[in-house]
Amino acid sequence: MNGNETILVIDDELQIRRLLEITLSANGYKILQAPNGKDGLVDAATHHPSLIILDLGLPDIDGQEMLKKLREWFFKPIIVLSVRSLEEDIIKALDNGANDYLTKPFRSGELLARIRAAIRGSEEKKDSPVLEFGSLSIDMANHMARKNKEILKLTTTEFSLLCLLAKNQGRVLTHQYILKEVWGYGYLEQTQYLRVFVAQLRKKIEDNPSKPTLLITESGIGYRFGD
Amino acid sequence: MEKKAFIQNNYSLRLISGINPYFLSIFVIGLTTLLSSPLSNTESYHVVSFILLFIVSILATFMGIGPVLLAATLSALVWNFFFIPPNLTFHIDKTEDILMFGMFFIIALVNGVLTTKVRRQEQLAIEREERTNALFQLTKELSRASGLEEVLAVAIEGIKNHFRTESFFILQDGNNILHSTGRLQKEKKLTDTQSSVAEWVFTHSQKAGKFTATFPEVEYTFYPLSGTRLNAGVVAMKLEQLFSGDQKAFWDTFLTQISTALEREFLGELAQKTRFLVESDRLYKTLFNSISHELRIPVATIMGAADSLLTSTHPANVQSALFNEIFTASLRLNRLIGNLLNMSRLESGQISIRLDWYDMNDLVNKLAEDLKDELKPFSLVVSIPEDMPLVKIDYGLLEQVLYNLVFNATQYAPVASPIELSTHHENGVVVIRVKDQGPGFPQQAMGNVFKKFFRVDGSKTGGLGLGLSIVKGFVEAHKGTVTVENRKDGGSEFTIRIPTENPAIYNLQLENE
Repeated sequence: MNGNETILVIDDELQIRRLLEITLSANGYKILQAPNGKDGLVDAATHHPSLIILDLGLPDIDGQEMLKKLREWFFKPIIVLSVRSLEEDIIKALDNGANDYLTKPFRSGELLARIRAAIRGSEEKKDSPVLEFGSLSIDMANHMARKNKEILKLTTTEFSLLCLLAKNQGRVLTHQYILKEVWGYGYLEQTQYLRVFVAQLRKKIEDNPSKPTLLITESGIGYRFGD
Repeated sequence: MEKKAFIQNNYSLRLISGINPYFLSIFVIGLTTLLSSPLSNTESYHVVSFILLFIVSILATFMGIGPVLLAATLSALVWNFFFIPPNLTFHIDKTEDILMFGMFFIIALVNGVLTTKVRRQEQLAIEREERTNALFQLTKELSRASGLEEVLAVAIEGIKNHFRTESFFILQDGNNILHSTGRLQKEKKLTDTQSSVAEWVFTHSQKAGKFTATFPEVEYTFYPLSGTRLNAGVVAMKLEQLFSGDQKAFWDTFLTQISTALEREFLGELAQKTRFLVESDRLYKTLFNSISHELRIPVATIMGAADSLLTSTHPANVQSALFNEIFTASLRLNRLIGNLLNMSRLESGQISIRLDWYDMNDLVNKLAEDLKDELKPFSLVVSIPEDMPLVKIDYGLLEQVLYNLVFNATQYAPVASPIELSTHHENGVVVIRVKDQGPGFPQQAMGNVFKKFFRVDGSKTGGLGLGLSIVKGFVEAHKGTVTVENRKDGGSEFTIRIPTENPAIYNLQLENE
């Protein structure tokens, strides 16, 4: 079923590219490789990949610049790879348009899961008024969410938070982004609100709030809606 | 009166020291003559000579040799002129009066000179005593001073008190290079000429500058601070004239004392540096040995297993066992590298802490997820109060702290035992406890648990002894503390206390829409 998906890997490390080629091909993806930023941009423009895996430490173009350049016209998912696990870098990359990130070394299984989630997220019809995630369904037109067919009692803020994350399923949203979207510009520093509402929301939508599968915390960075 | 710059003149004369002593001599003798005038033209003119002698003696007790000589001569002439008949002439009739006059003159002179001399001796003795005291005081203060700063403070104060001059020190940097900006007292800035004179004095161990043969045009006089084994630097002083005589001897001794004290400090520093080098060399060797050992083992596993998979055919179960080994070894390598990187971040002081509000539940859930393979044989018992408020911490750092503590527990606790992780909030402090039922720590190791590269003797392989020192470093980056103790019923208990602000939102049921 992955037969049509082409993934462009932009990384200067031959061994990483080879490893990704083997794992991803074995999982039915078509792989394109670019060893530097310049080739990467050309390949992205000529082959229209379904997803780009981008290493932040390229020899010719700074990873963050690369993201900005790609995001001028490339709207499919980009997953960023980085050897540095510094939160600032990752947050910057996400702000510059990356959908997700992984730090090297990573587990192949994890990468495959992220790729699947990202591609699914990009395919899903965002304008469909009802989103379904297992036993949870969100009816955005009617401002209503159901868990196991039962209507959930959600406050307005909780509902906006849920919608924002659900619409961006598979994508890591930074704290700042969520605060801006749900609460507005005046609340960018108010991570306290975010924590409190995420905890509250988890109690209502997760099967086991202490092992969340929908509202997933990305350490020190933000949240991701899982499946 | 000869002025001694360095001895406080405490003679009673100070009151009239403004008056020229020669005028004073003339005035006193004149006054005495006037008061004695009724005795002129009488038979008691001899008495006047005694009065005059007495006055000269008095003057000699507080005047210099010049005015005393003047007083003696003057009194002899006055006595002759006004009192020895015939009056108002210097002519003397009687032979005995000539004799009297001669003797008067000699006695007045001898008396005056001797008294002055005795007084001078006395004054010198006082000065000497004061110098001895000053030196004794200096020696005492210098030996009590510890560190260059204190020694310099004592020296500057001493020079100010005893030589009445401002001074400043330019010290070498420990590598025999004089730095005019380095260890100079903060407020002083040297001109280029001054610096080069200082440099010259330092390398030649000779004084130079104002009043000397070398560079006399500079406004300071520079003296070398020469010790027996090294030169500490130079001292610069603004003098009115060069020291001479006793004062020079005093200054030389003073300078030697200061130089010796500075030398002592320098040698102390040097010894400390050497100790530090030896220590870091030892550390380096330990590090090198343990790192090469720790890195080799997983690499050997990976190489061996991969080679075996590539070159031979194995049944499926053996194959998957080999893959497992490779995977486990790579995780171990990754953990080692992570710890090394964290340690070097700590060592280089590059930890910039990013505090934000977090939910402890989140942190603990993430930890359980990250360590789920290691925690499989155990039961992780988490206890977080229902009303646990948000805490202001650096998520990444604290995650690493808890990871290291819980990971450690999984390495030493007996299989199937509980590993407890609890946290609560009390008076603005987050308290986190990690307890296990492992062997705990031997009593003698308690003080070293958080030291880097420290490993309990006989503990199993698979670590560099960095984990707990990272824990300590990261907790301290939060201005918090971490302690360890052995539990009464076996196992160890780590307690972390991190000060945090009180969150604005305490209650999760805040919003009522």
